[in-house]
Amino acid sequence: MSFLNALIPTFSNARTEGEAVPIRRPQYQVNETDASYILTVNLPGVAKAGLEVTDEGGELRISGKRAQTLPEDAVVLHRESSDAPFELVLTHDTTIDSDKIDAELKDGVLHLTLAKAESAKPRKINIG
Amino acid sequence: MRLTKYTNPNARTVVPANLFGGRFDVAGIENEIDWLFGAALSGFAPSALGGQFPVDLYEDKNNTYVRAELPGVTRDAISVEIVDGSLSIQATRKEKSGESESALSFNRLISIPDEVQTDKVSAAYENGILTVTLPRTEKSKPKKISVSVN
Repeated sequence: MSFLNALIPTFSNARTEGEAVPIRRPQYQVNETDASYILTVNLPGVAKAGLEVTDEGGELRISGKRAQTLPEDAVVLHRESSDAPFELVLTHDTTIDSDKIDAELKDGVLHLTLAKAESAKPRKINIG
Repeated sequence: MRLTKYTNPNARTVVPANLFGGRFDVAGIENEIDWLFGAALSGFAPSALGGQFPVDLYEDKNNTYVRAELPGVTRDAISVEIVDGSLSIQATRKEKSGESESALSFNRLISIPDEVQTDKVSAAYENGILTVTLPRTEKSKPKKISVSVN
């Protein structure tokens, strides 16, 4: 649970000074296994080229631009989605090994495997 | 992906048949509150969009397009059908969390205009987005008529 408490989404809008840029916060889910945390983020319309994942100073930042936008001469009849770029910022403590983050993007879903640091893994203590 | 075509009876305008239907009734006020909370708290709960998914409708000179956000769905779990002048999109997303596996179903029914050539409808799925192209009949396309002035 400590990870979940530490993994508090920070308000990303505060970052932009002056003009407010519309940003879409994607749906995401975190699962935990013994060795890692699995982060699943829904990024519909984002291709590999438009995706950026950075981990710096305990801040995991995922930003994605939509690859498909409406054709220029299109007349919009009804709109429910948004072309605004996705951005998700999660903060974490040092229980994650930043060198061991695996990312896979498939069908608009990003799967991140965040390996736990050795010190954070559960360990069996033998009673002598 | 399965693309089924049926005959084209009379259809009216391009508006999702169930856009607000069913959600804003009095009896469903609890569901509505749940839906609002679900949407605000996001996550993957099916209640986030009531089993639905966002749909865009747009058109250009030749075609009408229906675009749906369906991330994480495999192509063979998507079914697009034209029934009674409506476009029906159904999809199932399988989720594995540890050893348990769950499936989420989505569906949406969209009324399509009369002038669609239902036998030439095509669909493509890329980066989690499904785009259905509905070509318009020749006579419904805007025509340029040149008038010669003597």
